[in-house]
Amino acid sequence: MTETHCPYCALQCAQTLRGEPLAAEPRAFPTNVGGMCQKGWTSAEVLGVADRITAPLRRVGGGFEAVSWDEALDDIASRVTAISGESGPDAIAVFGGGGLTNEKAYQLGKFARLALRTRNIDYNGRFCMSSAAAAANRSLGVDRGLPFPLTDLNDADVVVLLGSNLADTMPPAVQHLGPVRERGGLIVVDPRRSATARLTDGGAGEHVQLVPGTDLVLLLGLLHIVLAEGLADVDYLAARVDGVEDVRRSVAEWWPERVAATTGVPETQLRRIARTLAHASPHGGGRGAFLLTGRGSEQHADGTDTVTAVINLALALGLVGAERGGYGAITGQGNGQGGREHGQKADQLPGYRMIADPAAREHVAAVWGVDPDVIPGPGVPAVELLMSLAQPDGPRALFVHGSNLLVSSPDAQVVRRRVEALDLVVVCDFVPSETAMLADYVLPVTQWAEEEGTMTGLEGRVLRRRKAVDPPAGVWSELEVFAELARRLDAPGTWSTKPREVYDELRRASAGGRADYAGISYERLDAGEALYWPCPDESHPGTPRLFADAFPTANGRARMVPVREVGPDDGLRAEAPVWLVTGRVLQHYQSGAQTRRVARLNDSMPRAYVEIHPVLAARIGVEGVDDIRITSKRGSMVAQARVSPDIRPDTVFVPFHFADEGMVNAVTNAATDPISGMPEFKVCAVQIAKEDA
Amino acid sequence: MKVVVVGAGMVGNRFVDELGRLAPQVEIDLLGDESYEPYNRVMLTELIAGRVDLAGLTLPTPDHGRVRVRAGVRALEIDRERRTVVTADGDFAYDVLVLATGAQARVIPVPGLRDGLPRGAHVVRRLDDARDITAATLNASDAVVIGAGPLGVEAACALRHRGIAVTLVAASDLLNRDLDPEVASVAADQAASLGIEVVTDAQVASVGVHAGRVDAVHLADGRTFPAGIVVLACGSAPDTTLAAEAGLDTNVGIVVGHDLRTPADLAVCAIGDCAETPAGVSGLVAPGWAQARALARSIAHASELELPTVAGSAMRLKAVGMSVVTMGARTSTARPDDRVVTLSDRRERRHVELVVRGDTLVGVTCVGAPDLAAHLSTQFDRPGMLPADPMHLLMGTSGIGATESASPTAMPAATTVCRCNGVTKGDLVHAWDGGATTVEALADATLATTGCGGCTQLVCGIVDWLQTTDPPPVPTTSQPDGSGRETTVPTR
Repeated sequence: MTETHCPYCALQCAQTLRGEPLAAEPRAFPTNVGGMCQKGWTSAEVLGVADRITAPLRRVGGGFEAVSWDEALDDIASRVTAISGESGPDAIAVFGGGGLTNEKAYQLGKFARLALRTRNIDYNGRFCMSSAAAAANRSLGVDRGLPFPLTDLNDADVVVLLGSNLADTMPPAVQHLGPVRERGGLIVVDPRRSATARLTDGGAGEHVQLVPGTDLVLLLGLLHIVLAEGLADVDYLAARVDGVEDVRRSVAEWWPERVAATTGVPETQLRRIARTLAHASPHGGGRGAFLLTGRGSEQHADGTDTVTAVINLALALGLVGAERGGYGAITGQGNGQGGREHGQKADQLPGYRMIADPAAREHVAAVWGVDPDVIPGPGVPAVELLMSLAQPDGPRALFVHGSNLLVSSPDAQVVRRRVEALDLVVVCDFVPSETAMLADYVLPVTQWAEEEGTMTGLEGRVLRRRKAVDPPAGVWSELEVFAELARRLDAPGTWSTKPREVYDELRRASAGGRADYAGISYERLDAGEALYWPCPDESHPGTPRLFADAFPTANGRARMVPVREVGPDDGLRAEAPVWLVTGRVLQHYQSGAQTRRVARLNDSMPRAYVEIHPVLAARIGVEGVDDIRITSKRGSMVAQARVSPDIRPDTVFVPFHFADEGMVNAVTNAATDPISGMPEFKVCAVQIAKEDA
Repeated sequence: MKVVVVGAGMVGNRFVDELGRLAPQVEIDLLGDESYEPYNRVMLTELIAGRVDLAGLTLPTPDHGRVRVRAGVRALEIDRERRTVVTADGDFAYDVLVLATGAQARVIPVPGLRDGLPRGAHVVRRLDDARDITAATLNASDAVVIGAGPLGVEAACALRHRGIAVTLVAASDLLNRDLDPEVASVAADQAASLGIEVVTDAQVASVGVHAGRVDAVHLADGRTFPAGIVVLACGSAPDTTLAAEAGLDTNVGIVVGHDLRTPADLAVCAIGDCAETPAGVSGLVAPGWAQARALARSIAHASELELPTVAGSAMRLKAVGMSVVTMGARTSTARPDDRVVTLSDRRERRHVELVVRGDTLVGVTCVGAPDLAAHLSTQFDRPGMLPADPMHLLMGTSGIGATESASPTAMPAATTVCRCNGVTKGDLVHAWDGGATTVEALADATLATTGCGGCTQLVCGIVDWLQTTDPPPVPTTSQPDGSGRETTVPTR
C-alpha cells in the first residue's frame, strides 16, 4: 500500500495505491476531502497501457526501431555536440512541462544551463500560469497560486471564479464551495453556463455570462463602482497599498452603462456584484471574499493586465492578506506551481530567482559548483521559442520533457512544421504522444507511481509523490537520462539520480529565494507536516498564508497598477463572425496523451465536440449530431455539434484535448501577452459551417 | 514636434493620452480653462444623483515628461502667423494645434434668463455646475428641469433621487431625438412612476425671479411650476469662438475635412463636440474618442487619417430608476426592406425594438429592459451570423431548451447523476439490481458520490425512490461519512 497523490491536476488528490494490478482509491486530505474524480480513479490504468514505450526508439525512415540506451545516448550526445559546435549552444532548445516533479523540473533547468549550455529553455506552464504569475509578481511581490489554503474558501461569504471551470477540471475542489453556496455567494464569470456556472443555480449565487474577451472591462467596471460608491477599504489602502490614485483615475472612464455595452453584463448585475463583494469584505463586516482566476481570464493577449485588474479589485476591497479573503490563481497542471519555481522558465533559476540577477546567479552557481559566468542568460518564452525552431539563427535541436506540445500549443499546425524542420528532436515520454511520434529519439521514462519525488500543489503546499511499483524493464527515470547525457557532454557539476539528493540540492539552491524550500525536507513531509513555502529552515513552520503583515516587495506595500482595455487580438469581422473559446472536459487531462489511453475515460469522451447554441446551430443549418467545421485565419478543425443553450449564441466552445481533425489548437491564436508571453488560447474569431458527411 | 491642445475635456484629454503613448518624443501642452484636473463630464448627472463622488470622476492625467497639463489656463487667442496660442500665463508655440474646445450649454432667451443666470438657475456642463446644483438641493424642495434630452432626463432623475419634487418641462416628447413618439410615452411613464411630473408640448414663457433667485417657471399656456432650482438642459452649441476669431471657417462647429484639419490651416485640427466634420457635429463622447485616437495615430505615424465612422451613435441613459438605450435605426428611420421586430409591454413600462438589415442588427431601442439592452449592445453592428429568426435576439443569452428534471423519479435513465465519475441514473439502477441497495454500496459499485460529493443528495433520493418501488430484502439506508477532513497528511 502506497500513499501518494494523483498524477493529474494541481489539486493533487491524495490517493492510496494498492492491489495487483495496482488500483487507486481516494484518501482523506484537506484539498480533496476524500474525493476523487474519474481521472483519479482510473489513473493506475495508464501504468499498463498497451502502447507503453519500454525501450529507446530511434527514427528509421517512417517508423522507429528499438535501440539500447547506450546507443541512443551516445548518438544524441554526439549530435548535440556537433550542432552545438557548428551553431553554438543556443542551437539546442529544451521544452519542459508543468507535470514534472520538482526534482525533475529542477534538474532539467540545470541540465539545459550546464550540460547543453543553452539559454533556450521554456515550458508548457507558459501556456497556463504565466499571466497570473507576472501579475502577482508585479503587484504583490510573489507568485504563489493560492496564497492561502484552499480550505479557507469554506469560511467566505463570497467566492468569485473568473474563467475557471473547476467542477470539470478539479471536481473534488467543489466541496470547498459548499458553504459559500449555502450563503448564496458563489459568483462564476464565464461565457458558458459551465458545470461550475451551474453551481450558482437555485439561489447559490450568480452566473455572469459575459462576452468572450471582455473580462478586463468587466473588472474595470466593478472597480469603478467600488470606488464611485465609496465601497473601498480606504484604511487598508492607505496602510498597505501604493498606486491607488492612478488606478482610481484609470477606471473613471468605465461607468456601468459603458461596461454593460461591451461585456453584455447588465448594469444592475454589475452594481449588485460590486455591493455584494463590499459587504462580504472585512471592512464591510463580512466573513471575507475570494477572487480566483482560471485560464479563462488569463489566456489572453491582455491576460497579465486582466489578472492585475482582479488584484486591483481585491486590494480595493482590502482582501489581500486579510484573515479571510484574497486573490488566487487556480493552478492547472499537477506541478504547475513547483514547475514554475525551479528553473524551467526562460528567465528563472531555482527558488523563483531571476536569471539576470547577478546575486541570484552567484548563489545558484555556488550550489551547482560552477562559475556564475557558465550560466547562460535569459531565453525567450515558449511561443517565441517554438516559432523560432529551425528558423535561420533559431534552434536546430529540441528536447521535450513532460509535454505534448504538438497538441497543446496555439496555432499548432505551424508548430508542427517548425518541429518537423529540426535536425534533432528528443522526446522523453512514457507513451507515443503526438509529439513523440515526430521525434528522432523517444526515450522511455517513468511515470508517477514508478517514482519518488515532490509536487507543489495549487496552494503552495509541498506534497510527496511515492513509488508504488517498479517501472517496466528498459524504462529510466529522467534523472538518469540527465546524468548520463551530462556525463557524455562533459558537463560540470554533480548529477545525482536519487530524487532525495536532487531535492536536497534544490532546497539549497532555493534557499533565500522567493520560493524558499530550504526547510522542507522529505523527513518532515513523510512525518505528515503540512508545509507551504516559503519555509527557510527546518524549524520554520512554513507559510500557509502570505501577506498577513507585509508584501514581499521593496517597500513592503502592494502595488496597484493601472491597466487599459485592449480587447481580443483576433476580432470579429464578416469572414469570422463568431467567437471561439476553448477549455477542458472532466474526462481528459491536458493534451489527452494519458487520458485518451484510458478506456473508461475515452469511451465516455472519445473525441472533440463543438458546443453551440440552438439559435446559432439553426442559423448554419446544423441539427443534432451534425459535424461543424471551424475555420480561422490560421487553420481549421472538425467536430460533432453538441447543441446546448448553455453557451452564448455568438460563441462556440471546443475542448482542446484532442489531436488530428478534432485539434482545436490548429485554429487558436498564437498572439501573446507582451509581459507574460501567454498565448491567447481563450478567444479568437472564427467562421463556422456545417460539414457535409 | 510641439503639439498644443486647447480644451482638457474628455476628448482633449484622451487625445493627449493616446499621442503621449504613441509618440513619446512629441512635446504636448494641454490647456484647460477649468481649474480642475481633467474629469469625466459624462458622469456629472451621476454626481448630482450622489452615485459617484468627485474623486471618482477624475481622469488619468497624462502629465509626465514631455506632456504637461495646464489646468486653469484659458486660451485667449490663436496667432496663426506665429503658430502660437496666447494665454494669460504666457504663449504656447505649436507645430500642430488641436482644438477640443467642446460645446457651450444653450440658455433659452426668455425673461428671467436674459441677463445672465439668476441664482438657482443652472446649466449642466461643467463640474462647478454639478457641484452648485448638488449644493442647492440642500435648501430647495422643488425643481424644474427644462429640456427632454438625455441630459434633462438624467438631471431630473438625479434630483428626484435626492428627494426633490421635480417637474420636467419640454417642448417635445421625452428623448424625442432618440425615441419615436409612442416609445417616448413609455419612457415618460417610467419617469412618472418615479414621481417626476412630465410636461411636454410646453413653451417656457419666462422664469420667475424673486430677489435675484429663481422661484418659478411660467409656461405660455399660463401654467406655473414652483422651482427652487431650475436646470437648463436645452442643448448645446459647439464652442467655435477661438477658431472664428482666428479666421478659421466655422459653421455649426469648426469646419474640418476628413483629416480633421481645418482646410485654411493644416496645422490646426479640431476634434470632439467643437468639430464639424463632413459627417457633421456629434455631441457624443464615443465619436469624439474615436477622432482623438485617429488623429493621434495619424500624427504619431505621420500617416493618412481615415475619418472614423461610429456606427449609429448609441445613447445610454444614466438615470437612477430609468433605463433607456438606443442605437442606430428605429421604426421611423428604418428602410422599407428592414425587418423591424417590436416587443411592447406597456404595463411594465417596457418596450424593445430591433431593426435588422440583411444579416446585421442595425437598430436597437430598449426602454425599461436593461438586461436585454446589455446583450443587444454586444450584438449591434456585429458582422454576420444573426439568428435566422431575429425574434431570438429578444431572448438574450438565455437558453430556449428544456431544463433537466431534478426529480429522481422523472429523470431519464441516461441522465448523469455523478458528473465526477460519469455515473448515470441507469447505472445506479443497474447496480441496485445487482444488490447494491445502500448509498455506500452504490458508491462502491459505481463510484457515484466519491468525487465532489455534490450528487449525494440525489443518490439518496434515488435510493429512497428505489426502496419504495423495488425494496431490497433487508432495506437499509445509510449516509456516507462526511467527516473526511483532517489537517495533515497521515503518517505512513
